[in-house]
Order: sequence, then structure tokens, then C-alpha cells
Amino acid sequence: MAAATSQRVKVIRSAVLVGLIALIAGGVFSLATSASAETHVVEIRGFEFFPAEVNAAVGDTIVWINKDVVPHTATAGDGAWDSGLMETDDEFSLTIEADTSAGDYVCTFHPNMVGAISVE
Amino acid sequence: MFRKIFLSCAAGLLAVLGASSASAEDGGLNDMQIAHIAYTADEIDIQYAKLALECSDNADVRAFAETMIRDHTAVNVAALALLKKLGASPEDNPTSQSLLASAAAKRTELKALKGVAFDRAYAANELSYHQFVNKTVESTFIPAAQNAEFKQFLRTALVTFKTHEGHAEKLVKKLGK
Repeated sequence: MAAATSQRVKVIRSAVLVGLIALIAGGVFSLATSASAETHVVEIRGFEFFPAEVNAAVGDTIVWINKDVVPHTATAGDGAWDSGLMETDDEFSLTIEADTSAGDYVCTFHPNMVGAISVE
Repeated sequence: MFRKIFLSCAAGLLAVLGASSASAEDGGLNDMQIAHIAYTADEIDIQYAKLALECSDNADVRAFAETMIRDHTAVNVAALALLKKLGASPEDNPTSQSLLASAAAKRTELKALKGVAFDRAYAANELSYHQFVNKTVESTFIPAAQNAEFKQFLRTALVTFKTHEGHAEKLVKKLGK
């Protein structure tokens, strides 16, 4: 009986230990992921996107800032994401996910304005 | 018919802007008069765009017109903010009056047209209008402007208007002849 109880305690201890290790490992992994996520800033000025192309990884965030006097948009070529109308100094953030639509994007008001996102 | 309207408009605008160019080169236009002409030119294009929204069902024409209203309104709001900051007011002048008179005549011509005829004439007018305005702003108004901030503002506005010119050129091609 005492041996059985001792065995159960060992199993519970092992389970708790494994759980703790998993939690710590998960936390570390999570921290590592968030630490490596980057923010890419794209300025809109003079009717152009600067930089015109962004190479981003899953988890990264792209922030567009309109520095022009006139309104612009940043809109996926397939319409999957859209900043909507951005007045002067307005910002729009897009977090890159595995299924985020990449490739060319445009300003819907000024079709000559084209940028591109490539996901690593 | 369309060619005649286009050439008539272009000639009239050239005469008006040519007159203003000569005045500016002669030192006849000050910054406040240039500001008034630029503001008036913006307002005229907004009026053309509002007419297009009244008369056209073409999605490309309507999208272009909405962009003209949005952009020219934003430029004029920024222009007035700059003038307020500089403690100045736009000064009415004969060139602004001539521009308004020519634009009123052009709107009357456009109103008489329907369907694709209107769309093509509107697009052609937008192209010619932006070409002549841009040429005047670039070669006359910017060199003539005295205040550094105002000069820079004109340079920035010119980028907007040149983008419109390119957009209008594509619209003209898309609508055909």
C-alpha cells in the first residue's frame, strides 16, 4: 500500500515536472518568437510607397503611414486586406500570418501606386 | 465633334494660362495671386468632377472623378492652412476670372453630351486641363513664387497634379475614341 502510494506520488511529481518543463519551454519559445518578430514601416509620400517592397516573416507587422497631403489606401491586389481611406499621418497595421495575401498591393485611389510584400 | 471640343478647350485654356505665364514672368503676379489662381484651378477641377458624377455611369470615370474631388479638396485645405499660417489671403485677379469663365463655358459644352460621348469628352478635358495647369505651375508659378514654404507647397501639389495627368491619360486610352 505504502509502495503503491509512493509510486503514485512519483508519477504525479514526474507529471508536474514534465508540465513545468513544457510550460517553461513554451514560454521561452513564445518569447523567442515575439522577440524576433519585426515591424516594417512603409511611408507613403509623393505618391509612392517607401520602401516599395517589404520582405516579411510570419508574425511580423507592416505599418503604413501616409505622409502625403491627399488620402491614400494600401490594398491587397486581391482585396484580401485593405487599409481603407488613410488621411495625412494616418497609420494602418497588418500582421503577417501564414495565409496573408502577399504579392502586389495598390492605392485604390491612385492605381499607378504599387507596392509589394513577400513573405519568407 | 469631340476633337473640336477638345481643341477648343485646349486653345482657350492655353490662352488663359499663357496670359498668366507672361504676367508672372513680367513680375506681374505676386504669391497671393498665384495662390488664388492655383486654388481656383483646383476648384474648377472639382466642379468638372461633380458634373461627371451627375452625368456618367461609367465606373472608371466615376472613380476618377471621386479621386479628383478628394485630392483637390485636400490640396486646397492644405493651401488655406499654409496661407493662414503665413498670415496671407489669396488675391483675386484677372487670370482667375478668365479661368472661371472658360471653365463655365466648358461645363456647358460637357452638359450637352450623353453617355460615352460625355465620358470621352470629360476624360480628354481632364488630360488637357492637367497638362496645361502642370506646365504653368512647373515653368512659371514655382520659379516666380517668392516665399520658400509656398514654393515648396507648389512643388508638392505639382506631384499630385502630375499623377492625375497620368491617370487621365490612361482613362482617355481606356475609353477609346
